[in-house]
Amino acid sequence: MDRNQIRKWLKNLGKMANKYSFHVVYFCTGCGIIEIPPSITTRWDAERFGIIPVATPRQANLFLITGYVSTKTLKAIIRTYEQMPEPKYTVAFGSCPINGGMYYDSYNTITSLDKYIPVDGYIAGCMPRPEAVFIGVTHLWKLIDMDKADGYKRYREDYTLYRANQEQLFGELGWPPLFQNEKYKYSNSQQTI
Amino acid sequence: MTYAVSKKGNINMELLKQKLLSGFNGLDIQLRDDQRMFISTEKESILSLLSYLKNEGYEHLALISCNDWINQEKFELVYILSAYMADDNHYQEKEKRSIILKTNISRKVAKFMTITNIFNSAEPYERELHEMFGIIFEGHPRLTPLMLEREYEVPPFRKDFDSQNYVDNTFGKIPSIAERKEGTK
Repeated sequence: MDRNQIRKWLKNLGKMANKYSFHVVYFCTGCGIIEIPPSITTRWDAERFGIIPVATPRQANLFLITGYVSTKTLKAIIRTYEQMPEPKYTVAFGSCPINGGMYYDSYNTITSLDKYIPVDGYIAGCMPRPEAVFIGVTHLWKLIDMDKADGYKRYREDYTLYRANQEQLFGELGWPPLFQNEKYKYSNSQQTI
Repeated sequence: MTYAVSKKGNINMELLKQKLLSGFNGLDIQLRDDQRMFISTEKESILSLLSYLKNEGYEHLALISCNDWINQEKFELVYILSAYMADDNHYQEKEKRSIILKTNISRKVAKFMTITNIFNSAEPYERELHEMFGIIFEGHPRLTPLMLEREYEVPPFRKDFDSQNYVDNTFGKIPSIAERKEGTK
């Protein structure tokens, strides 16, 4: 452990522990998933950064969306995101979730992901190298330190707006709203960490 | 039933070409590099030709595909058949043979007969063509949507489907969260 960080650890133990142990649910949406096996295994060894893959979204706190998102996959992404316990962070991987990438005029691929779920960071590129994953993760550490990785808070705050966008795309969603109404609105006193 | 191709693993495409030309009318057969045979034919003789080739040993339907020739007002259906090798353990690229069978159907009345009676594996391919190109396969057991969830006015793989216009009207019209916030306030 870095000695310079002892004050940080004492100040906010939960946050530090949280950010150095990312449990990742890899969502194999597109071509980006091919970069994930080398980065979690010995060649690049993501566990140096505390990143390990987990089996279910209920144990995860980092959501890597790797590649283009079709409308059918978006439904699964929303359900997966809503199952993850807070605090949770989303990183979109590749250029397609940003603005559609090479699928900008596809009949079935959504053009920007952050209209439907909050995205904390993007790793641009087509495809990004495994090193870029680690650069992205270290940036995410900084954002967590500065309390700027607040996607899950925004999701609570603006849930009605996100839900409205999702319903505009899909029509009827097959599940009830995650947050019912105003009383579930996020406030700083409810902070879990 | 004799499996001239699959059992022996020795396929003489020239011989098969002579057999086909003597047995069927109106075939246009081209051979390329002794491994691929291109057959263009009328749509009426597709079923008999497919069942004949299946008996000849080409009993693997690899793909059914479709081209949209919008200027000539026709769809070109492409059936790709291949043969199982005699010795599965020693698969060699040199021995691979495939037959590409092409036919044209009208684009305005996009109807064709199903080949699921001959090849059962044709079912998902025909469903896919039905939802992507809007071709109706008569006699197909279930022509329900296969992969797409959304509904399209024009089937999305047809050439007259304006994808940029579609994207602008569906995904482009959904506001971002900031825009929606401004709208509500």
